Amino acid sequence: MEKPGDKIKVITESEEFEGILMPQEREFLVIKLSNGYNIGIDRNKIKDIKLVSKREAKEQKAEEIKEKKGLPTISILHTGGTIASKVDYNTGGVVAKYTPEELILKFPELNEIANIRSRLVANMMSENMRFAHYNVIAREIEKEINNGTKGIIITHGTDTLHYTAAALSFMLENLPVPVILVGAQRSSDRGSTDAAVNIISAAVLISNTDFAGVGICMHESMDDKSCIIISGTKARKMHSSRRDAFRPVNSKAIARINFEKKKVEVISDYRSMKNAVSEKLIVKPFKDSVKIGFIKSHPSFYSQELLAYKGFDGLVIEGTGLGHMPINASDEFTSENQEIKNALKELIDSGTTIAMSTQTLYGRVQMNVYSVGRELLDIGVIGNYSDMTPETTFIKLSWVLSNYKKDDVPEIMSKNICGELTERTGEGTFLV
Amino acid sequence: MRRIDRKDRRGNFSCVITKMEMKNKTEAGNNANGNENNLDYQKLGFKCGLEIHQQLDTKKLFCNCSTSQSSSTKPDKIVMRRLRVSAGETGKVDIAAEHEQKKRKYFLYHYYEDTCCLTDLDEEPPMPMNKNALETAVKMAMLLKMDIVDEVQTMRKIVIDGSNTTGFQRTSLIAINGKIETSQGDVSVQTLCLEEESAQVIERNEDFDVYNLSRLGIPLIEIATGSEIKNPEHAMECAEKIGMILRSAGGIKRGIGTIRQDVNLSITGAPRVEIKGFQELKSIPKVIKYEIGRQLSALSKNEKLLGEVRKAEPDFTTSFLRPMPGADRMYPETDISPVKLEALGEESLPELIEDKAKRYSSEYGMSNELALLAAKKGIDIDSYKANYLNVKPIFIAEYFLTMPKEIKKRNNIEIAPETYEQDVLGRLNSGEISKEAVMEILVELGKGNKIDYSKYKSVSGGDLEKEIIEIVKKNPDKTQGALMGMIMAKFRGKADGKIVSQLLSKHMKK
Repeated sequence: MEKPGDKIKVITESEEFEGILMPQEREFLVIKLSNGYNIGIDRNKIKDIKLVSKREAKEQKAEEIKEKKGLPTISILHTGGTIASKVDYNTGGVVAKYTPEELILKFPELNEIANIRSRLVANMMSENMRFAHYNVIAREIEKEINNGTKGIIITHGTDTLHYTAAALSFMLENLPVPVILVGAQRSSDRGSTDAAVNIISAAVLISNTDFAGVGICMHESMDDKSCIIISGTKARKMHSSRRDAFRPVNSKAIARINFEKKKVEVISDYRSMKNAVSEKLIVKPFKDSVKIGFIKSHPSFYSQELLAYKGFDGLVIEGTGLGHMPINASDEFTSENQEIKNALKELIDSGTTIAMSTQTLYGRVQMNVYSVGRELLDIGVIGNYSDMTPETTFIKLSWVLSNYKKDDVPEIMSKNICGELTERTGEGTFLV
Repeated sequence: MRRIDRKDRRGNFSCVITKMEMKNKTEAGNNANGNENNLDYQKLGFKCGLEIHQQLDTKKLFCNCSTSQSSSTKPDKIVMRRLRVSAGETGKVDIAAEHEQKKRKYFLYHYYEDTCCLTDLDEEPPMPMNKNALETAVKMAMLLKMDIVDEVQTMRKIVIDGSNTTGFQRTSLIAINGKIETSQGDVSVQTLCLEEESAQVIERNEDFDVYNLSRLGIPLIEIATGSEIKNPEHAMECAEKIGMILRSAGGIKRGIGTIRQDVNLSITGAPRVEIKGFQELKSIPKVIKYEIGRQLSALSKNEKLLGEVRKAEPDFTTSFLRPMPGADRMYPETDISPVKLEALGEESLPELIEDKAKRYSSEYGMSNELALLAAKKGIDIDSYKANYLNVKPIFIAEYFLTMPKEIKKRNNIEIAPETYEQDVLGRLNSGEISKEAVMEILVELGKGNKIDYSKYKSVSGGDLEKEIIEIVKKNPDKTQGALMGMIMAKFRGKADGKIVSQLLSKHMKK
């Protein structure tokens, strides 16, 4: 039986094609012709397939890298995603095998910045991540720190990169080194990939500053000129495809990395190594079993939607405006709203912590302004004055419920732990 | 297939020229630098194939942007990018790609809001392939008697000179194994691909190049012939023939830069070169002859020739453009789902321009020249004939093709005859005006004058006959020719000359 990568001859009623079999089990058999093109051949028309030659095993040999004296060590931990996607052109499958040698082969500039320690700790698209993965990554970071490293780069799928960044921000107490999450919006197998600029900029930050915290390093604009470092709790993916999708929300970026000059320009205050060296890193993991829901308020809301979360430890609401839910009946069309209010009460009474955030993304939850907000507070909804993104609220609530007693949750949620809550809203923090 | 063919050809070449070959060459190319016309192309081992690129007139291939020219002259945004070499499917970095990488250039892309979008900036994944473009490609493939693939797979062809923001050009093989008939036998058409047009370079500098994104993504048909083309003139004939077939299919862009011909060329002892950028079709034979002259002269001096891409210069010589790209330069475009393809029914295939011209000439009695012109310009004589039953097809062709030219020459006025089609052909059809008046009416319309059509009412029947009898009576001494002149001057643009002549003969006999 022919396997993907084998050279075969396909004989149909009218033609003959010779090429390399591609791995696609569909209505059409796909072969790569020697001119480079792939074509699909209708399987029903195929009379015979002959093997011409077995697949040639070709291994790209990378040179061994010698440690350079005087350069810091940077650890790169790979978790999968677009940045790590590498197509096996013989089979069409995606392979992720990241030895330092292969990485240097791909991004030779890294070799001039640091000695690289690189390994794969997970291999997944980021939408598949669960809390258990956060714990794995945190433990791997702990190992790297114990082995001595100037900083850590985590390569990650972009879809939930900001969730992981927030999670690590909370989990890694007394973090003594920078942990920089890096993704790519264009895969590394294309010439236009943003992976190189992002990963090299992260290395520039680590080797040139005393930043000690969790940050995200991605393109600042559509240009391949600079990256920005955003605090792990203040970032959000704001575009489905642009390179500059990650933006700071309710904060400014921490720093700008000029890619051409390999220079760091600090934009705002950051947590430095000085704050950390005296204490030892403590990893506070997530409980795998913690169940937190996430719901968005919307017109024609039904109480049933809320009740689906009965039995959950927590629920984050993306409220409208300042942090509102439709809980008041005002005319003959709004009787359901009373049911919504009852459902909120029922959830809270049964032990679900409900935290408010705002779907405007920018700005603060302010439940004192309108009576509906005050009523929500009276029912027991927490999260007033928060300027966290809904995603950071979700991660924080999950982490707090994993690590603290239920009675302490409201207080910890309202206190700043790692830069997720700010006291003042500066003018230059909107749409930046 | 095309690429195999190239490889074979390259493989067959030996870099050492044998004495026998040298002898052949001297015989065949003794006039290499002067009078090239005497070359024996067969003896030279002349191998030549064409690659024709034709832009289609639809929306862009993988987004919904317009493919017309931007209305603004200043870009709405300029984006700076770098490209990196990625190892191709075999893990090998392409030679041409490496050549670009070495230059370490960055690129500036001019973005225009009305003709570009995020897809052009490589900031948004592509949309499915434009259906109209695909249909046109299938039509062309059928006219070229090709086998259509069952399922189209879009590929990424690595291009890192900056002309594609992605670092690759999306291209799909639509059909294989076609042929065109020529005066010197059939020439095979090996592949027809539908691909995206590259961005247009505006400026090249030491450390960066500037591109305009408006052109990027326009659907482009790429047709590659086999290497059986026999001589430089034959190359031009093939290019003309393919051009005619593409125009016959319709749905193509017209004008400067919308069709481009590349020539692949080799002679024994020299590696293959690709020549791009012909200013016009007519220059093809001369450029090929000069290039062969260059190669023969280098060979006779034992100079090493390289396989490379060369540019056709206005003086018919060629200059180095870049090294020849290797074969390792394609991998699957995973953002685009494969498309199932079926050949169109014969009935939906357009008539070839040359067939149409032959039919116009035999069916409607047009001169070969007029018939060909009408077919080429897409003047749909059949449908005009159906609309204007009382107007002769030949007159319709003249109305659209000959008259505007003549008016331009005589009166220096530009006429757009299609604008006045209803006014003029409509009135002619209903007998409101005479055929003879059409030229004069067009001139007046061209000047922007208001027309009193009653002035051009055709005089015929009893009225005309009465007048003629009168004139004949008054001028008993004049010849028929003189009388004819007098009458036509009086009824200028109102009477049909043929009828006047008949009436004159009738009444002069008495």
